[in-house]
Amino acid sequence: MTTLLQLLITGLLVGAVYALMSSGLTLIFGVMRVVNLAHGAFAVLAAYLTYTVWTWTGLDPLLSVPIIVAVMFGIGWLSYNLVVRHVRGSHISMTVLVTFGIALTIEGIAGFVWGNQSRTVRTSYTDTSVQIGPFFLPTATLLAAAIAVALLGALFFILNQTWTGRAVRASAVNESGALLVGVSVKSIAASAFALGIATLGAGGAIIAVMYPFIPGTHYQWIARLLAIVVLGGLGSLMGAVIGALSIGVAEQFATQYVGASWVEIVPFLVIIIILIVRPRGILGQKLREDATV
Amino acid sequence: MNTTNTHAKASTPRSVTVPDASKVPGWARTETVRRIVTVLLGIAAIVIALFPVVPNRSAQSTVIIALVVAVGAVGLNIITGYTGYLSIGHFAFIGVGAYFVAILAKAVPGVAPLVWVPVAGLVTALLAVLLGLVTYRSRGPSFVIISIAMLFLMRFVATEWHAVTNGTSGITLPMYSWPREWGNWPIHISLVVLLGLSLALSGWIRRTKFGLGLIAIREDEGKAGTVGVNSPVYKLLAFGASALLVGMAGGVYGYFMGFVDPVNMFSILLSVQLVLAVILGGRGTLFGPVLGAFIVVPLDIFANNTGGGGNTRLVMFGLLLIFLVVLLPKGVLPSLSHHLERIRTRGTVGLSGTRLGAADELSIRDRPEVPDPAELAERLEAAPPILEVKGLSKSFGGNQAVNDCTFTVPEGSITGLIGPNGSGKTTVFNLISGTLLPDAGTVRIGGTDISRMPSWGRAHRGLGRTFQSTRLFKEMSVLENIAAPLGSFSIPQLGLDAVSGREAERARELLDFVGLSRYEQAKAGSLSYGQQKLVELGQVLVLDPKLILLDEPAGGINPTLIERMGDLIRDLNAQGKSFLLVEHNMPFVLGLCNPVRVLAQGHIIAAGSPDEIQTDDAVIDAYLGDDYLLDSDNSATRRMAIEGSAS
Amino acid sequence: MRIGASLPLTGEFSQGGADTQRGYEIWAKLQNEQGGILGRKVEMIYKDDATNQNTVVSNYNQLLSNEGVDLLLGTQSSLLNIPASTVAERAGMLYICASCASPEMFNRGFKYSFFSQQAMASDQGATFADWIIGLPKEKRPKKVAYPSLDDPFATPVAEGIRKKLEAAGIETAYADTYPVATKNFDAIVTAIRDSGAEAVVQGAQFEDGVNFVRALNRANFHPEILYQSSSPTYGQQYVDGVGKANTEGVLFSSSYHVDADTKGNKEFAARYREIYGGYPPEDAADGYAAGQVLAAVVEGVGRTDDQKALADWLRGNEVETVLGKLSWNEDGSPRGDFLLGQWQNNVSEVVLPGEAATTTRITRWRGEAF
Repeated sequence: MTTLLQLLITGLLVGAVYALMSSGLTLIFGVMRVVNLAHGAFAVLAAYLTYTVWTWTGLDPLLSVPIIVAVMFGIGWLSYNLVVRHVRGSHISMTVLVTFGIALTIEGIAGFVWGNQSRTVRTSYTDTSVQIGPFFLPTATLLAAAIAVALLGALFFILNQTWTGRAVRASAVNESGALLVGVSVKSIAASAFALGIATLGAGGAIIAVMYPFIPGTHYQWIARLLAIVVLGGLGSLMGAVIGALSIGVAEQFATQYVGASWVEIVPFLVIIIILIVRPRGILGQKLREDATV
Repeated sequence: MNTTNTHAKASTPRSVTVPDASKVPGWARTETVRRIVTVLLGIAAIVIALFPVVPNRSAQSTVIIALVVAVGAVGLNIITGYTGYLSIGHFAFIGVGAYFVAILAKAVPGVAPLVWVPVAGLVTALLAVLLGLVTYRSRGPSFVIISIAMLFLMRFVATEWHAVTNGTSGITLPMYSWPREWGNWPIHISLVVLLGLSLALSGWIRRTKFGLGLIAIREDEGKAGTVGVNSPVYKLLAFGASALLVGMAGGVYGYFMGFVDPVNMFSILLSVQLVLAVILGGRGTLFGPVLGAFIVVPLDIFANNTGGGGNTRLVMFGLLLIFLVVLLPKGVLPSLSHHLERIRTRGTVGLSGTRLGAADELSIRDRPEVPDPAELAERLEAAPPILEVKGLSKSFGGNQAVNDCTFTVPEGSITGLIGPNGSGKTTVFNLISGTLLPDAGTVRIGGTDISRMPSWGRAHRGLGRTFQSTRLFKEMSVLENIAAPLGSFSIPQLGLDAVSGREAERARELLDFVGLSRYEQAKAGSLSYGQQKLVELGQVLVLDPKLILLDEPAGGINPTLIERMGDLIRDLNAQGKSFLLVEHNMPFVLGLCNPVRVLAQGHIIAAGSPDEIQTDDAVIDAYLGDDYLLDSDNSATRRMAIEGSAS
Repeated sequence: MRIGASLPLTGEFSQGGADTQRGYEIWAKLQNEQGGILGRKVEMIYKDDATNQNTVVSNYNQLLSNEGVDLLLGTQSSLLNIPASTVAERAGMLYICASCASPEMFNRGFKYSFFSQQAMASDQGATFADWIIGLPKEKRPKKVAYPSLDDPFATPVAEGIRKKLEAAGIETAYADTYPVATKNFDAIVTAIRDSGAEAVVQGAQFEDGVNFVRALNRANFHPEILYQSSSPTYGQQYVDGVGKANTEGVLFSSSYHVDADTKGNKEFAARYREIYGGYPPEDAADGYAAGQVLAAVVEGVGRTDDQKALADWLRGNEVETVLGKLSWNEDGSPRGDFLLGQWQNNVSEVVLPGEAATTTRITRWRGEAF
């Protein structure tokens, strides 16, 4: 029973970080119907930036989150305007190819800049844990989850309480309707993409503390993040949160009760099964292309 | 084999834009281009086939890998280029083939591993058909994501199934079973033969009914169903065909490498090379993927050897992918042929600019006599209905689009279905044709319940439909569009030539009937909107349906064409076809249809002859709302209101 | 004298690839300072195979035909060495690899491939297993956990130890492999702790070894005996990764020790420190040893145009290297034993076998001596 609860708690903590990272993926899909396969690569890029800030200034990586978020917002905005903008409205498969191209480019550039060795960010709390009753909670994971929850709250606030946020949500629901009430869907799309990458940037800074990374790490991340948003329902933010917590817990349980090697395949099985059995996921709307029989 | 690629062939409206020969440069003439292409292809074939005479081992291995990628790309092109399903995991089939040969070579020592190659192809094809099952539920982005997941899933199986695959340690293959002096010749020749077979298969598919059906699926899968294309079976066969020779090439590849392991046999980067080869060369063309492969692979090896290694290669592939999709989404070959086309047709009038001339005016032999409407309505309603809709309901989320809808279409009638905007007319059409499935209720045609049948099944039972905004297969020629529908499904029929024999004759007759025979070679997408509507009608007619559903046949077209459309419908009706029309143009409906059904909020509120409908209070209510009724009860004004309300 | 090698300088195995390249480089430099091989200067030609089989095959073909090399050295890891050695075998070229410990490498009847370390992966933990079995009963662990990275070098090490210990009646409390992509070891550690294991034997590469130790700390779980197959040999990188206090008492198998009194070791270690700083990692020493083997065989035969003679010479002779004396079976696999090393007071010591040992003390993980 203790083990069970321990796994559940760890899974939920890790899941909170997953939720932060996948929120951008689902937001971007919701607003512009682009499946951003570069999402994992952007996360790894953010981790490398965190590493650089840490080695140069010694600043605690969790404190550098605001810097990373700002930089990633800029990178997201640029990527949108330089590349993604040109394929909006083309067939969705084409947008998948373009974002995969971005992912490969980032992987290669990261290799040039930071080398292909594995990098880690070691802080004073990397190996410590907090003991509460029979449970141990790794300090880094605990801090990471707290930051993730706070940032997710901020994201929900932005989307619900600010004009830009509401415009983003309106564009996601109904593009022509949004146009009608004076939302410039074009510039909103750029903001949404940048916002999605910025929140992911915070996630990237957090995972830099938790796990070592190499440029090729992005494949695992994109698999996991895709599984999360597919499970939650493409385009749904609440769905992504639920999906992330489920995947986080599922990974812990699979390791304990099925075998560690199964963790790798959990995301892919989730993707295949959900897309075949219930393509709209837990909370998503039907995709138009899937609407007909 | 045809020299120009099929795409170019489809896009050449020879009969329409007769170029002024004196203005076309000599080298750009069709005949000259064809000759040049034939010579180039011949040279390329000879060079590739005899390449191992070049003693350079590294060049040999580059060509061998390019051949493997070429076979893979030609296979991928069948599902991506023809059928429109983009797969980023197609390299998995090479991996499966390689593993299969490695496993058998180990299990049965003493047999030359190349012997197993054909078997590997068959097994791979079977597996691909199984994977093809997922396309029954997933399209577009879902399918792309699944294709990646499948690649990793297969890698996982190869990693975990130790007993058979030896896990991450992989399986080593024996040394070549031939004398050392032969070098790589047997590998090379096998791959050249496989590439030849792949091209033959791909070319054959493109020419047949099967290929036409696949392209119909690519252009518009929903529509393909309504013209009788059994898309699930088509897609499964396409998956099998796309993997058969790829699996064989994989077997040869594994033997060449001498070693198979999960990471490298199910590599996402190699899969990306296949996708790049297809897109770079030209999706849907015959030779494009081969051209793409012979560009991508040497580029890859060059970037690795002289450009700075693995990171350069990643950046190069990434940027190439981005630039291709943004700047050259059609690929090299289609862009070239498009360019040639422009040189040839410079100074001639484009298709959509031409107007129907006097010669196009349809000469309907004798206009059928129009009987008295009321009498006709009575007679028709007494006849057994061809279509019976009972208690049909459908909701989207909370929105009840169709609510307990019940009506009939008498046999031999032109029945009109009218109603205000948003009353659910198009949804009813979709439910009848099978593009949507109802939540409740039944649809019967000639007494048979078809409410659970797929759309192609309904088409095979004599139901044809057109769409509100035309949905032609835009990349096909007009003639191919009319030849694409299939009145039944059988495997042997798939192998028939796409447009030939009796069907071609029938298609030409129909084109003649709708008055567009001049345009038979033009791309459907280049016609004017009204012309497309006529082509779509012809497309429906080729199935010889008993009942034809027309969704706004007069919408958005010029008055001459509206009149012609009306004449065509009357003429066909006189030949025994029944019609159900949705239309906003009230004069058109009231002049043509009898009886008429009125739909409001998903429910039939009135039925009868046009005159009865125009004076029905509920109908006026529905069209104008209560406010209007309070102000006026003048029936003439009411009639005008209805006629003008939705135009 | 042109010598060609492809290495995974980018991609998954780039860490080991880069270290091996350093070993090759130092060997070439020192060899040239002594006048090269057969009086000819050594010129190394490297290609990057990006941890990709297609590329490794085309690289070795390229080396053989475009670069016209006289001799070959191997790439890094069995996964790449197996296809690469196939190219060499088909061309009839001697192929000496510094890291190809997978048994798959030498069960193919190849005539030209040789492994320039002391033992295949499955035998690398033998010294450690024998030591455990030899412990007095009250000190011997009753239950052992065997987590292992799922790859062809790490798993056989853990499996080899497990076979020996099970045969000696020591219970297996936990045995599982995890994929290369594993980042989060918390759940694995929880499972091991709950299994009641007193000793942990991990088949590891670098990253996973470090992560695993961190997770042990987070779970506050400190087994008496902690053995890791590869990661503790990464020297300073390992210390940085797990933290100084956590290295104390970690056991590992190693082909190499920096203080060993072996042929050329002093010069090698000094030159490494001079160029790259710090202690040479194991992969660099293995690369250096491969170069030594190559030089010995060519000097022994006296020519490079008869590669078959070179291979035959290796089957009949011993070669002195920084790893100690190496000799080979008919199939090209080596016959020898690995060293058992242990981190003590931030220094990596050799504890077994006795004749190579730098200390006689063996300690518990983060604890007292036995």
